[in-house]
Amino acid sequence: MKTLVALSLLATCWAACKGPPAAPPSQAVTIALESAPNDLDPRFSTDANSSRITGLVFAGLVRSDGLGAVTPDLAASWEREGEKTYVFHLRPQARFHDGSRVLAADVRATYLSVLDPRLGSPKREELAPLEDIEIVDDSTVRFHLRKPFSPFLAAATLGVLPQRLASKPHVTGAALIGAGPFRLSGVSQGESYRLEPFDGYWGGAPRLRTVIFRVVPDAVVRGLELAKGTITLVQNALEPEALPWLRRRAHLETIVSPGTSFHYLGLNLRHPILSNLKVRRAIALAIDRDAIVTHLLSGQAAVATGLLTPGHWAYEPKVATYERDTVRARRLLDEAGYLDPDGEGPKPRFSLTFKTSTVELRRRIAEALQFQLRDVGIDLKIRSLEWATFYSDVRRGNFELFSLAWVGIDDPDIYHSILHSDMEPPYGNNRGGYVNPLVDALTERGRTTGDIEERRRIYSRLQKIAARDLPFIPLWWEKNVIVKDRRLKGFRPRPDGDLIGLKDAFLDPPPTRLAR
Amino acid sequence: MIRLAGRRVAAVVPTAFGVATLVFFLLHAVPGDPVDLMLGESARVADKEALREALGLDRPLTQQYAAFLLGALRGDLGQSIVTGLPVGSLLAARFAATVELALAAIGLALLFSLPLGVAAALRRGSWIDRASLAFALAVVSVPNFWLGPMLVIVFAILLDLLPVSGSGTWAHLLLPAGTLGLAMSGMLTRMTRGSLIEALSQDYVRTARAKGLSYLAVVAKHGIVNALPPVVTVIGLEFGSLLAGTVITETIFAWPGLGRLTIEAINQRDYPVVQGCVLLIGICFVVANTLADLLQLVLEPRMREG
Repeated sequence: MKTLVALSLLATCWAACKGPPAAPPSQAVTIALESAPNDLDPRFSTDANSSRITGLVFAGLVRSDGLGAVTPDLAASWEREGEKTYVFHLRPQARFHDGSRVLAADVRATYLSVLDPRLGSPKREELAPLEDIEIVDDSTVRFHLRKPFSPFLAAATLGVLPQRLASKPHVTGAALIGAGPFRLSGVSQGESYRLEPFDGYWGGAPRLRTVIFRVVPDAVVRGLELAKGTITLVQNALEPEALPWLRRRAHLETIVSPGTSFHYLGLNLRHPILSNLKVRRAIALAIDRDAIVTHLLSGQAAVATGLLTPGHWAYEPKVATYERDTVRARRLLDEAGYLDPDGEGPKPRFSLTFKTSTVELRRRIAEALQFQLRDVGIDLKIRSLEWATFYSDVRRGNFELFSLAWVGIDDPDIYHSILHSDMEPPYGNNRGGYVNPLVDALTERGRTTGDIEERRRIYSRLQKIAARDLPFIPLWWEKNVIVKDRRLKGFRPRPDGDLIGLKDAFLDPPPTRLAR
Repeated sequence: MIRLAGRRVAAVVPTAFGVATLVFFLLHAVPGDPVDLMLGESARVADKEALREALGLDRPLTQQYAAFLLGALRGDLGQSIVTGLPVGSLLAARFAATVELALAAIGLALLFSLPLGVAAALRRGSWIDRASLAFALAVVSVPNFWLGPMLVIVFAILLDLLPVSGSGTWAHLLLPAGTLGLAMSGMLTRMTRGSLIEALSQDYVRTARAKGLSYLAVVAKHGIVNALPPVVTVIGLEFGSLLAGTVITETIFAWPGLGRLTIEAINQRDYPVVQGCVLLIGICFVVANTLADLLQLVLEPRMREG
């Protein structure tokens, strides 16, 4: 007892002697993340939080604009030689954080390391069409593909490492060196990640002195940190109901802009009831998306017509849409042979199981869907599962209905992965088992033709077919919601949530005084 | 007593073995594939197989179990399959933070509960006794997920005295330790009061007073010292729980402790990290309870005979 008491009191006293709380540097921008990034090596980073940081530290040959197109990055220009060859011309002024010049050999080494199966990079599949990489000279690199593959430029966003690091199996912490606008200056694993501007950045050094990414797992606490002024920016990581309270803080501002995350209702088309198109349409007509967006999402989403968002170059607006119409939904169910046994009575036409994660908001959405489908005589049984179990069930096709989101959609080639009949898991993401020979042919053509207009026509047709056949039911596109300190100026949000806008941002002094 | 202590320490080994075995097989029995979670949606089957092989997940479960046990015996708990970092170093960093939080929580709990419990025992039925009862009931009934944010709102937002969350300075420690310590102090207050009342009603106390010792000296030397053993047991148990189960508090305050690491690893099916965490938590639990038992033996000589 005495020992324990003494130790406890000592710990308290020791803690008290460690000094006063360190005030955040006035010129530092602190960004709250809801979970720790998994891996900052650009060859491994796939989760959103890792990508946010690696996007600032590393530069690729090209950079995604968040809407399916790419812009120059390390490569000032590029051209296509025939259908299977791309030539990239590197910026002579591009430098790595250690001061060395970015050379064609660095690009080649980075890409070859990802292609090496021993590395176990999750990005290997994206580069699968690559056959060879040829160094033309220090500033020119030529990529040879096995076959024509139009979405290749989306894979050329891979962050380039210096050759000496690319030869290593896995690089962690501050040893990571890129050619992006910020350099990694400190890592406290799972807790915080410190970035400082890179003076040698080809586009000019960023004006922010320090950017700190801090892991704050609790959404309420992220809001409180913003209110106190100890967090500068939170993106898409606040509870919708906290926003009105934060809007009242004088030192904060909220920016709501279109986003690309697409939420949908997944259906198992192998299921005898759900294989019936009339049933799928009835479900789509029974859902009141407007009500869910208004009341559960506080208006922070837009009702979706399909996978691609209106800003995307391949977006097709003229597709079949499904506004809530319970009369039509009931008629379709009657026509499908699923008559309501007791009219307006409590007995359902049939029951379906809906799987979702344990996230509170997702559960509430599930309850709203259950309530709305009951209106047309469909009984929805909700099963809320821990994330890994839920995801595993979805991957294995062990579901009737589920809801998930596609995040960070770039090239419309995603249709190949989710609708082609050869792409059922584990090979792809056609989880519902959709089969349509026309869609197979279109998605194959879409990934091989280099003609942008032809691609546009192909994906327009695919969007119309998807809206008519409903292999999945579109729900909404999540908006990007950023709450930030007003002192942070010049920051432009991006539809895909990428934070590259921080390179042009600056802090406008004086430091914020708390507003309550 | 030494034999008893030896028996208790020896019990740590089979307990740790049992925990390790149970966790290993339970973890592999639940659905969820770490390779799927790591490689994501579009990875090729061949790449998944290659990674599974590289991580040793393609081997029979018994072989994986044997490798895990042999590694654990050598002190090598493997590498995280998500971050690639050694599990040992991940655990060491997080465990230190958890111990810091647990000790501070106990320190704060004792700071509240010992004076309050003693005062309530010495002034039975008075307003201070009733107030201590109300305090104990209140703090025991309030859940951490409510108390934590409330403390933040009062001390970090309204009074602007402390940081909201994070770690690194004493100020960061106070709110999470206060959240955990307050909940514990309710029970300790009642325990101290009850034990002290019982100790003060003993004959030796009356004898001491009759011999002319001052009231305060009697309370300090004979009352409080003899009231301590049950309090020690509770602290030992609570210390074990604090090392294992402070996930909610760690999440609220973004405290980089063991509980959060365990939950994050479970969500990602990071088998080596979960195994390491649970093994460490299990051992800590046994060690904390054993220490509490041994301390009780030191404080209560009569128990040594049994």
